[in-house]
Amino acid sequence: MTPTKERTIAPPVRGGVGTSARRQDSVPKVKGEFAYSSDLWAEGMLWGATVRSPHPRAAIRSLDITDALTVSGVHAVLTHEDVPGRKLFGMEIVDQPVLAWDEIRYEGEPVALVAADHPENARRAADRLRVDYEELPPLVDPERAVEPDAPQLHASGNLIRHARIRCGDPAVTADVVIEGTYETAMQDQAFLGPESGLAVPAEDGGIDLYVATQWLHVDLEQLAASLGLPQDKVRITLAGVGGAFGAREDLSMQIHCCMLALYTGRPVKMMYSREESFFGHVHRHPARMHYEHGATREGELVYVKARIVLDGGAYASSSTAVCANATAFACGPYEVPNVQVDALAVYTNNPPCGAMRGFGAVQACFAYESQMDKLADALGMDPVELRMKNAMSTGSAMPTGQIVEGPAPVAELLRRVKEMSLPPAGHDAPLDLRSLPGGVSNTTHGEGIRRGVGYAIGFKNIAFSEGSDDFATARVRLFAAGGEPQVEVHSAAAEVGQGVGVVQIQVARTELGVERVTLLPADTTVGSAGSSSASRQTWMTGGAVKSACEAVRARLLERAAGELGGSPSDFSMEGGKIVSQTNGIEVSIADLLGRDSIEETREYRHRKTYPMDPETGQGDAHVAFAFAAHRAIVDVDTELGLVRVVELATAQDVGKAINPLSVEGQIEGGSAQGLGLALMEEIQVSNGRIRNPSFTDYLIPTVLDMPPMKIDVLELGDPEAPYGVKGVGEAPTISSTPAVIAALRDATGRALERAPVRPEDVVGLTEREVR
Amino acid sequence: MFPSRFDYSAPDSLDEALATLGQRADETKVLAGGQSLIPLLKLRFAAPATLVDINRIPGLDVLEESNGHLRIGTLARHNQLAADSLVGRRYPTIASAAPQIADPLVRNLGTIGGSLAHGDPAGDWGSVMLALNAEVVVRGPTGERRIPIDDFLVDIFTTSLNEDEIVTEVLVPQPEGSFGGAYLKLERKVGDFATVGVAVHLELDGDTIARAGLGLTAVGSRNIKPTNAENALGGNKCSDELFAEAARLAAEAADPVSDVRGPATYKRAVVEAYVKRGLAEARDQARARAGRT
Ligand SMILES: Cc1cc2nc3c(=O)[nH]c(=O)nc-3n(C[C@H](O)[C@H](O)[C@H](O)COP(=O)(O)OP(=O)(O)OC[C@H]3O[C@@H](n4cnc5c(N)ncnc54)[C@H](O)[C@@H]3O)c2cc1C
Repeated sequence: MTPTKERTIAPPVRGGVGTSARRQDSVPKVKGEFAYSSDLWAEGMLWGATVRSPHPRAAIRSLDITDALTVSGVHAVLTHEDVPGRKLFGMEIVDQPVLAWDEIRYEGEPVALVAADHPENARRAADRLRVDYEELPPLVDPERAVEPDAPQLHASGNLIRHARIRCGDPAVTADVVIEGTYETAMQDQAFLGPESGLAVPAEDGGIDLYVATQWLHVDLEQLAASLGLPQDKVRITLAGVGGAFGAREDLSMQIHCCMLALYTGRPVKMMYSREESFFGHVHRHPARMHYEHGATREGELVYVKARIVLDGGAYASSSTAVCANATAFACGPYEVPNVQVDALAVYTNNPPCGAMRGFGAVQACFAYESQMDKLADALGMDPVELRMKNAMSTGSAMPTGQIVEGPAPVAELLRRVKEMSLPPAGHDAPLDLRSLPGGVSNTTHGEGIRRGVGYAIGFKNIAFSEGSDDFATARVRLFAAGGEPQVEVHSAAAEVGQGVGVVQIQVARTELGVERVTLLPADTTVGSAGSSSASRQTWMTGGAVKSACEAVRARLLERAAGELGGSPSDFSMEGGKIVSQTNGIEVSIADLLGRDSIEETREYRHRKTYPMDPETGQGDAHVAFAFAAHRAIVDVDTELGLVRVVELATAQDVGKAINPLSVEGQIEGGSAQGLGLALMEEIQVSNGRIRNPSFTDYLIPTVLDMPPMKIDVLELGDPEAPYGVKGVGEAPTISSTPAVIAALRDATGRALERAPVRPEDVVGLTEREVR
Repeated sequence: MFPSRFDYSAPDSLDEALATLGQRADETKVLAGGQSLIPLLKLRFAAPATLVDINRIPGLDVLEESNGHLRIGTLARHNQLAADSLVGRRYPTIASAAPQIADPLVRNLGTIGGSLAHGDPAGDWGSVMLALNAEVVVRGPTGERRIPIDDFLVDIFTTSLNEDEIVTEVLVPQPEGSFGGAYLKLERKVGDFATVGVAVHLELDGDTIARAGLGLTAVGSRNIKPTNAENALGGNKCSDELFAEAARLAAEAADPVSDVRGPATYKRAVVEAYVKRGLAEARDQARARAGRT
C-alpha cells in the first residue's frame, strides 16, 4: 500500500444518481438476445400443461385421468389429490384452490396438470382428461352477488371487503348537486411475455424455480406451503420478465410446475399460450361507481358521496387492498370536508381480479374527474379552475383524516398542463391519413371531424399501506479486482422492465464512488425486496441499497482509519480513493482492500402506516402520494365514432428523477396504458366467459395510436425518501384515462360514462348487453 | 398447433394440378398463398389428405388489359395489386383496397383467387369485385366456366366452385367514361379484418351516373351487393340527396350481427356513412378525371 500525498480533484462518478445511465438489460433486449422466462431450457426437461374448466361455474362430479395417462410421452397427470401441502393459496386471503376439486368458480380454473416429453403430447393428454361437470348458472352481476338471497360462492359469503369513509356531516346540503354513475371495464395488464418458468428438482428434495414474477419471497412462502416443503428447500431465481403491471403478483404456474417437477424427478417447463394467459392471471377490477357531489355556488366542494362496487371475480387476490385504495382515493386530490364512501369488493363467477398498475385509484379517478367536469359545467366554471380551487396541498387532510405531509403540487401540476402550448388546429395539406381518426383505412378525409380538449388529475399512494410491514433488503459487496474497486449489488427486487436494476446500480455508484457495479441475479438467497408494485421499488430497494452502501462505506473508512491512523470521520471517499480530510493523504480503495472484501446487508423500512378504521375509514394508511395531471387533445369522427388522440401533455412530480430517461419511459408507458383503458382495452366478459382472449381481439395501443407527448417532470423531493424520490410508474396511468374521455365529451357533447369508450358509444348506438 | 399429416404435390401445369385434384377432390385442397388455409390446418379446422400447391404453375399471375377486361391471374398477390401502375391508374377501387388488406407479410403471399375461393364474408376482395361486376374464371375436368361474382359467392365460406375446379382468373370490366372508386374499411387496428368495409365504383357521363357498383364487407353471411342502392343511383344525376338515399338503401341491405367488433346497429350506421363518403370520393375522382381529358 502506497499512500500518496498529491491531491487530485476527483470527478463525480459516471452513471450515478440523476443520470440516464444505460440499463443493464437494454442492449440485449433491443438486440433480441435477452433471455425471457419462456426461453428457459434444461437437459431432459418435460413440458407441463394445465387442464382448465370450460365452464365459469360448475360442480365437479368426477375426474378420470386414465385416458390421459395412455398418451405417449406422458409422464404425469396430477389432480388436487396430488397437491403435497396446502390445497389453497392466496396473497391476502387463502381462498384459491391449487387445483379445483369440488366447485369451479371461473372459466379457465385449473383442474389438472400434465407433464410430457413434448408440449404437443402434453396438450393431447390434457384433451383426454375426462371431467364430469355439472354446470351451474354463473353469478356474474356484482350487485346481485351482495343481495341476501344470492348463491354463496365461498363459505365466507360473497363480500370480500366493505370499506367505508365517514367524515364530517352526513346530512350536509349544498347549493349545487350533481350525480353520476360511471363504469370501468375489466382491463388486462397485457404483458407480452406469457407466464412461464422452469422448475428443477434438487438433490436435497427441494426445488429450484426460475420464473418471471414480481415478488419472489411471497411466491416462496406460498410455494413452500402448498408443496409441503420447509421454506429453505424452495429457492427461486427471477427469470427474464416480459412485463408485469400487477399480473404477476399472484401465483400462476409456479406451484403447478414445481408439483410436476417433484413428482417426475425431472426439470419441467411451463409456458402459457397467449390465449391461456388471459385465463392465467388476474385482471383490473371492473367497477360501477355512483357519485354525488355537492358544492357552493362559488365552486367549493361541500361533500362527496360515493358507492363503488368492484367485481373481484372468483377469488380474492388483492381485492381487499384494491378496495381500500378505491376508498381512500375516492374523492381525488381535493379538499372535501364531508365525505361518505362505501366501497365493496365482491366475489362473482367472473375472471378473478387483482393488482394492476394504479390499483383501485384508476377506477375512482375516472369517476371523480368525470364528476368534476360535470360540476364545472353545472356551475358554468372552467373545469381546471374548479379543480385548482379545491386542490389539496401539503397540510391538507385526506377524507381518511391523514394529513398530507410531503409535496402535493396539485394546483401547480394543473397550471402547468393548462399553460402548455396547444398543437395547431386542423391538418396540413396533403392530408396524412395516419393523423386522422380511422387512420390509413381511408375512413375520413376530414368529414365529420371535431376536436376536443380534456383535463384530469389523479393521485395514489406509494408503497404498501394500512400497516403492512413494508421493507426491502439489499446486500452490497465492495472488493478490488485488477487494481480497480468493484461493487456487487444483490437484492430480490424484480426487474419487470421498469428499470429497478439500473436504479440499484446508480445508487451504488453514487454512494461508493465506484463506477464498476454489477447487479447479481435476483433470487431468494437474499432477503425479501417486497413486490415490484405500488410504485415502491425505487424508494424501497433504492433505499436498501443506499443504506447497505452507507454501511460498507462506514466499514471502509474504519479500515482506513485503522491503517492510516486517525478516526473514520477524518476520511472521505472520492473517485475510488480514500482521502484524509486532515492531512490530505489518499489511498486507493483497491490498495486498502487488497484481497479482502466488505459486504453489508441492510433492510430498509418506510414510516409505519395504520389500518383504516372499518367503520369510519379514518387512519394514517399511507406513507406518501404521487400526483400527475394530463391534458388530452382528440379529434373525433362524430359520424363513425372513431378517435385519434392528437396529443397528450402531462406534468408529474417524481420527487427526484434517479434516471430521467426511465422516468420518461414510465410516464409514456403509463399514459399509453391509460389511453388504452379510455379507448380500447377491455376484456369482454359475457355470462362469465371471456369473448376476446387474444391480441387480435383484446386491443392495446400501438405506435399508431399513441400521440406525441409533452412531459413536464417536477422534482420536488419528498423529505422522507432516499434522495427525495417518489414512485413514478402508476400515476400516469391514473389521470390519462379521464383526460382522454373528457376530451371526447368536449368534442361530442355526449355523457360517456363508461371506459373504454367504444365507437358505438361516441355515436350513441351502444347496445346494452343482455345477460 | 401442428396440422394433421397430409400429402403434398406442387405440379407445374394446370392440367397436372387438375388431375391430382380430380383423384380425390373431396379430400384435396388447393394451396395458393396459404394465408387462410395454413391457419385452418394448424387449428385443425381442416384436415385434407392432399394439398395441391399451384404456386409453381406459370401464367397464373397475369395482370393485363385485354378484350375489354382487366385479367387478374388467380395468383396475383395483394401486394402486386397494390403496387401495379395500370391498376393504380384505371382501377381505383382495387388500388384502394389492396393496401388495406391485412399486413405486409400477408399481402406478400395472399392471392386474389385464394381470397375469393375462401369465401370469407370479412374478406375485402369479394366486395371490390361485386362493386366492379367481375367474373371468376374457373377450370375443371370438363373445361372452363365464367361465373359472375354475385353467383360465385354463396354463403359463409361457401362458393359455387366445385371441389374439382380451380380458379384461374378474375375478369374485371374496363371502366368507361370518367370513373372513380374507393374502398373504405373500418378496422379496430391496422392489419385487422374489417369491422365493416364498403367498396364503391362510379362511372359518370357528364354528371349522370352511367354505372354504380357497391359491395359490403363483414355485414352478412357473404359479401353483399346492395342492388337496390345501385339501381337508385344508376341513370341519375349526382347529388348529396341521391347519395344519402343510396346509403340508406345499402344500410338496409346490410345484415350485420353483434360481435366482439361491435353491435349490429353501429355496423349498419357505418355502412350508411361509408356509402355516402365513398360515393362522394368516387364522384370527385370522376370529375377530376373528366376535367383532365
Ligand atoms: C393475419 C391475417 C390477416 C388477414 N387480414 C385480411 C384482411 O384484412 N382482409 C382480407 O380480405 N383478408 C385478410 N386475410 C386473408 C388473406 O387475404 C388471405 O390471403 C386470403 O384470404 C386467402 O388467400 P391465399 O392465397 O392465402 O389462399 P389460401 O390460404 O392458399 O387458400 C384459401 C382457400 O382458397 C382455396 N384456393 C386458393 N386458391 C385457389 C384456386 N386458385 N382455386 C380454387 N381454390 C383455391 C384453398 O383451397 C383454400 O380453401 C388475412 C389473413 C391473415 C393470416
